[in-house]
Amino acid sequence: MAWVNAVVQGILLGGLYALFACGLSIVFGVMRIVNLAHGDFAVLAAFLAYSVADATGLGPFWAGVIVIPVLAAVGYLLQRVLLQRSLGVGPLATLLATFGLSVIIQNVLLQTYSADARALDIGRLASASLRISGQLSISYLALITFVLAVVVLVGLQLYLSRTRTGRMLRASSDDPEAARLVGADSRHLYGIATSIAFATVALAGVMFAMRSSFDPSIGPTRLIFAFEAVVIGGLGSLWGTLVGGMVLGLAQTVAGQFDPALTLLAGHVIFLAVLAFRPQGLIPARST
Amino acid sequence: MTASVTPGGLPRRSVLKAIGAGAAVTGGAGLLAACSKGLKGTGSTGDSGTLKIGYVSPQTGPLASFAASDNFVIKQVTDALSKGITAGGKHRGVQIVVKDSQSTTTRAADVTKELILTDKVDIVLASATPDTANPVADQCEANGVPNVSTIVPWEAWFFGRGKKEGESFKYTTMFFFGMKEFTDLFTHMWGSIGATNKTVACLWPNDTDANAFRSGFPPAMGPKGYKVIDPGGYQDEISDFSSQISRFKAADAELFTCTPLPPDFQTFWKQAAQQGYRPKLATVAKVMLFPSEADSLGQLTNNIATDVWWSPSHPYKSTFDGKTAQQLADDFATQTGKQWSQALGSVYSLFEIAAKALSGASDPKDRDEVAHQLQTMKIEGMSGQLDFTAGPQPGIAIQTPVGGQWRKGKKFPWDMYLVDNTFNPDVATTGDLQPTS
Repeated sequence: MAWVNAVVQGILLGGLYALFACGLSIVFGVMRIVNLAHGDFAVLAAFLAYSVADATGLGPFWAGVIVIPVLAAVGYLLQRVLLQRSLGVGPLATLLATFGLSVIIQNVLLQTYSADARALDIGRLASASLRISGQLSISYLALITFVLAVVVLVGLQLYLSRTRTGRMLRASSDDPEAARLVGADSRHLYGIATSIAFATVALAGVMFAMRSSFDPSIGPTRLIFAFEAVVIGGLGSLWGTLVGGMVLGLAQTVAGQFDPALTLLAGHVIFLAVLAFRPQGLIPARST
Repeated sequence: MTASVTPGGLPRRSVLKAIGAGAAVTGGAGLLAACSKGLKGTGSTGDSGTLKIGYVSPQTGPLASFAASDNFVIKQVTDALSKGITAGGKHRGVQIVVKDSQSTTTRAADVTKELILTDKVDIVLASATPDTANPVADQCEANGVPNVSTIVPWEAWFFGRGKKEGESFKYTTMFFFGMKEFTDLFTHMWGSIGATNKTVACLWPNDTDANAFRSGFPPAMGPKGYKVIDPGGYQDEISDFSSQISRFKAADAELFTCTPLPPDFQTFWKQAAQQGYRPKLATVAKVMLFPSEADSLGQLTNNIATDVWWSPSHPYKSTFDGKTAQQLADDFATQTGKQWSQALGSVYSLFEIAAKALSGASDPKDRDEVAHQLQTMKIEGMSGQLDFTAGPQPGIAIQTPVGGQWRKGKKFPWDMYLVDNTFNPDVATTGDLQPTS
């Protein structure tokens, strides 16, 4: 039963990883930008939600609902003002720009909020769970996170493949010049893609802030897991990101059940194995 | 990357300077952190007679809560030393240079080198956990610079730096406590709570601190009949603790102890509640020492017990101006709007000791002599009586912690109640020991 629990917890944890990785996957899939500030934007969203909840007395879920569109707007502006410019210079420029953003966000948060650890207090929900048996419990919060991750990733995949904007996005991603010839404004479309990505980052940040605690410095650790989920699943594929997150989560919890010392190592080993033997990822972008 | 304070000078924040300094450095993304406190003063900077005290602590990163009160303490000490001290028959100004270890060992070693080689400090102080204190002390020992550290279990500091029984360091010293004080206190609290079994869940990661516990706790617990459930050293910053929790549940461990990173404990404790693991008494080390951690855990904070080596109720006084522990905590609350933390007293005492060692030496610039002053230091200040000659190994002074528990507070959301003073009866208790769940 302990093993069943490890598998269940691994899948649930995978949902959180996939939610984190979603934005990274979109930004890379559409614009070929590796956003090194990804984790820091999630932390920024968590702090904003904390401030909103603190100032208005709203619950953390409502604070999240307010923060998500704010981050989406930030994403759009960021793409138009900063990333679009650096895209023209070359792939290294976007890396440097996002790395710079990462440093700036961490330090602005440190100045504004101090280094204290914080969490979004969700009261009884923090400890509530569905008890299936003595050894198997499913936390409601983890379940909500998982369901949100699946809904968001499946929804976005359908959005990209079925809607007109989604098709234009993919067209711009494949060949911006040709897409522009047939009337697609790639800069605006890239802005939309980034705003969608940032909305998912905000959601991930808020869900993480309820699950654990956060401080200005934790962004880069979150980025590593998100990055691994994206690579395991396949760069640029949202289905792959969902699968990648779960593979990473499962690898960690199952290895942890075997020996807790192996938890993180197992995830990294899977990541390396995928890079070495299947660099296109488990579900590569072209197959969807 | 520098924050220096000169007595009499006013703090001035200089963000641009920090950004410039950080941009010149390559490495991790947290580099700029806490660098924006470039303070300049009007004091006697440049006078070769000025004494320089270097201070290293983890102001950013996962251990930042240990350093949350640093700015306040440094301001207090700067004020107290604003008239300078008499050392070596001469009146001298004192300058404090502050560095951030960013919670990493490599950074701690680097900034200590900077303090020694660039700032040419006369003594280096270090606070909070072996991740900062050990590399700082190693650099000081290698370069022959006197050093005092605190908030680090002495075994992790002494054996963790490669010394054996009977050996000693020449330049580096510390005050805090060790496994004996931890085990005495924790086993006494376990014995008082009325648990039906003596099985103890031990959440120890694979780092310097936890490995000192892993080698120190079981030998002390065995003879008292306690059974250790240690699932093994996990890596810091993992996101899921279900395997540890299922082992603790399977063993029906009614008692719980741990030394994780603070964010990891938040994840663990919430997940333990979700998975239905509710130990009768949790006595934690290294975490839940500070109010910010108690706040962010919400309701789950109630009655978590930990070690308390300093509190406003401790009957201790400053050697600088006779200020009591209570006054120090009150000043902290008034000036910062925040609740006191245990690090206040420890960091304050670092500077008391430094000042006493420098003024006690016939030549405060003679590093060997200052080091000798530290090795033979006896002082009664903000951290109570500290005797560096009477410790378990040379150059170590022992404090005796009392047991504390977090409960609903009056002025702040959570207050630390002192519940077990068996080993340090000078400190009055403020409540009774209660089950965590």
